[in-house]
Amino acid sequence: MKESGGVSRGNKIDKEGWGFIEVNKITSAAGEDWTGQMEFIHPDDDNAEDKTVFRLPLAKPLAHNDSIIVNFDFTAKLPQPPFARTGAKAEYFFVGQWFPKIGVYIDQQWNCHQFHANSEFFADYGVYNVRMTVPEKNILGATGLLVEKKTNGDDTATHFYHAEDVHDFAWTTSPEFVEFTGRAQDVEIRVLMQPDRAYQGLRHLEAAKTAVEYFQNWYGDYPFPNLTVVDPRRGAGGAGGMEYPTLITAGSTYGLPEGLRAVELVIIHEFGHNYWYHLLASNEFEESWMDEGINTYTEIQIMSDKYGPVGDALDLFGIKLNTLQQHRGSYLFNADYDPTVRRTWEYYSGGSWGANSYSRPGVLLTTLQNYLGKETMQKIMRAYVERWRFKHPKTRDFIEVANDVSGQNLNWFFEQALFSNATLDYSVDRVFTREAKKGEGYDFKFSVATPDSAMSNGKNEPADESTADSVASKSQPKLYESGVHIRRLGAFKFPVEVVAEFANGEKVREQWDGQELWKKFNYIKPTKLVSASIDPEHKIALDMNYTNNSKAIEAASLGVNKLTARLLFWMQFLLDQPEFMSLFTAFIPSF
Amino acid sequence: MILTSLQPGWQMVRAHKRMLAVFYLANLFFGLLLIWPLRAMLKNFIGDSMMGGKLGGALDMDFLFEFIKHNEQAGSVFFGLVLIVPAVAWLFTLFLSGGALAVFAQDEKYTPARFWGGAAQYFGRFCRLVLWSLPVLVLLFCLQYFESGAQRLFFGKDPYENISYWGGWIKAGLRALSFLLFGMIFDYARIHAVINDENKMRASLGAAIKFVSQNFLATFGLAFLLFAVGALALVIYNPLADSLAAPSGLVILLLFLLQQFYMLFRATLRLTLYASQLHLYRGLESTPAAITLTAEVDMHGLTPATE
Repeated sequence: MKESGGVSRGNKIDKEGWGFIEVNKITSAAGEDWTGQMEFIHPDDDNAEDKTVFRLPLAKPLAHNDSIIVNFDFTAKLPQPPFARTGAKAEYFFVGQWFPKIGVYIDQQWNCHQFHANSEFFADYGVYNVRMTVPEKNILGATGLLVEKKTNGDDTATHFYHAEDVHDFAWTTSPEFVEFTGRAQDVEIRVLMQPDRAYQGLRHLEAAKTAVEYFQNWYGDYPFPNLTVVDPRRGAGGAGGMEYPTLITAGSTYGLPEGLRAVELVIIHEFGHNYWYHLLASNEFEESWMDEGINTYTEIQIMSDKYGPVGDALDLFGIKLNTLQQHRGSYLFNADYDPTVRRTWEYYSGGSWGANSYSRPGVLLTTLQNYLGKETMQKIMRAYVERWRFKHPKTRDFIEVANDVSGQNLNWFFEQALFSNATLDYSVDRVFTREAKKGEGYDFKFSVATPDSAMSNGKNEPADESTADSVASKSQPKLYESGVHIRRLGAFKFPVEVVAEFANGEKVREQWDGQELWKKFNYIKPTKLVSASIDPEHKIALDMNYTNNSKAIEAASLGVNKLTARLLFWMQFLLDQPEFMSLFTAFIPSF
Repeated sequence: MILTSLQPGWQMVRAHKRMLAVFYLANLFFGLLLIWPLRAMLKNFIGDSMMGGKLGGALDMDFLFEFIKHNEQAGSVFFGLVLIVPAVAWLFTLFLSGGALAVFAQDEKYTPARFWGGAAQYFGRFCRLVLWSLPVLVLLFCLQYFESGAQRLFFGKDPYENISYWGGWIKAGLRALSFLLFGMIFDYARIHAVINDENKMRASLGAAIKFVSQNFLATFGLAFLLFAVGALALVIYNPLADSLAAPSGLVILLLFLLQQFYMLFRATLRLTLYASQLHLYRGLESTPAAITLTAEVDMHGLTPATE
């Protein structure tokens, strides 16, 4: 709460509705009371008041492959309304982060972090058998599979769920859910909608089907037979947009237009977490990019393939926005505060955490995909899933898979992209074209330079021996000396393609390794240079500024004039408003 | 009554085209004042980049984000301009309205002296009228909260989203209505001030409120009719403007001309509203006809007096 200032994921805590988990008693299998041995620790900072982590020292160490039974008697009070991913409002309950979760013993030590504002979780796999007793009329959804529903005769029913190989368990219940079911490949899908948004049920179902199909086809088998999608209640958005094994929460609003694909985005994203977070159980505290960032990358690819390539996130009133553009925009505004890999509570700001956890990794992996090719990248992702499923991979493990599958040493890329805050920006600094002049010198004769022979790529090759007079006949076409000067403005070094376009339609493609601070390309041709551009297809999504990637000999002001004309109109229209009539207010509903 | 006011109002506007030009040019001037720094920022950022040509097509969202990112400081200055210029523009339009009403009220030919003299004469009063009418604006603005109250009364504190969604639209409609009503009252207050050469703006405001309430159908009908015409024009304008999307200089010129024609039309609507309202006001507030008494006198047996 100190870190968040009482605001989490856009929701403010209701001071009357605090939630907590209280461990009442800890006993051994034999009934020994171990409660007194519980000791709160704060491994991440000096906050002695933080009681989100406790250790329980055992009388003797547990040997490798040995087991122990520890009974926790605890009380969980849910925040009202839902806050920080869990809570209740009126008849609706979303029960997440509700039990004392055991940390991960990894690398010869316990990895167990405090509960931070801008962080998620890290836990280990296990088997869950959970019995939940709720009012009989309630519909319930949970992680895992329903084993049995038993009516208790007192207007309550007990739902028994079983989940294997999961590292978290969440559940939800409400008497008002409207259920939609469907199937995608071998996965049964269940969507629990709020009654006032039930008309969006099929839309949610279709999005879930899309998610399952793409992930299974592209990245590997989803290891569970079912998926539950929960539509959070109005006023309970604090538990929305979240992932749990086999259960995800979405989030929508009544009247959401089809062209604003928020439903599709959130479902594809949250389902993706069943791969990147659940199946590949990376440490969300320490390497948040591995779940959120990789998931953002896969979300970008799926949205583009399914709903793109233009306007896959937003296509409304003539405004088109891609998911990639959306994340690139987010990255641009928080590009260089921190390296991508950082402990989540140590980022400069919430904005930096968001950009480095979600957007920057999404953009950098898209850049890598464009560099390696889509096929190779998909192979890398599939191999990553295959090799590290049900394990706890780290950043280095992912890099190792990428190097291995691609057959290249990509460390140069990952070191800059993940472990530094270097920004990437290549620009065309200068372009020129002029009539080639015959060289002059005292007591020396130069030939007239021949086209394409002498000055390509900045290399000066020996001039032709023939004399200027003999070559410079009237039949010789006029030659032009042109130049393209490229600069690397950012610290991130990346190979780039440069395309020089000439008046006769010729395009010369150059490759530059991007290592030095600048590079000059020179040409002698019987045609003038028209323009030059770096990465004309915008494959390098990490580039901070596409606008400076090109230059034309003659500036085109068409676009500026059109944009100015449009904006002028809107300025004139709005200036006309206050006194005459506030037409535009009629189109802005307020809630 | 509405049409009988509208027709002479429209005739009046046709007879004073130069005044129309003044209103239109004022709007264009302030629009340019706002847009020119933005254009300079755009040109500076784009430079010789091929983006300059690409923007002739669809708006590139990548460009938009880059532009905002790389012009953050200039953007905040521009934002300040966006707050100041509309306020100045509105004051200037208020100033011009005095001139327009003065010319319409005198029902004489437009002359610069008459127009600008009237503008100057009434500007101070109109500024005071603005201050006096603020409570009216606040009161009318609160109309929308009737929806909130009704929603709470019938559906409680936690209504389903479809209720609050449609309720939101009703609220927006009530808000638009409140602006329309306020505009009407403000207009008739100004008309009252001009016609009666009233110095006390509180009195003009009171007279306007009274006039509007006593003649609600006529006053609201006239204002709403012109509002509807303006809305219809926008509905016609939008697809036409969207169709002018080809990246060519000629098309951009056509787009600009279409836009300016639309703004000229809006200026015409504004002046037509002033003139029609003035006619309506005069028509409904005219003095009663002289009373003629007739009587029969029985002259039988009476001899008229003679000198």
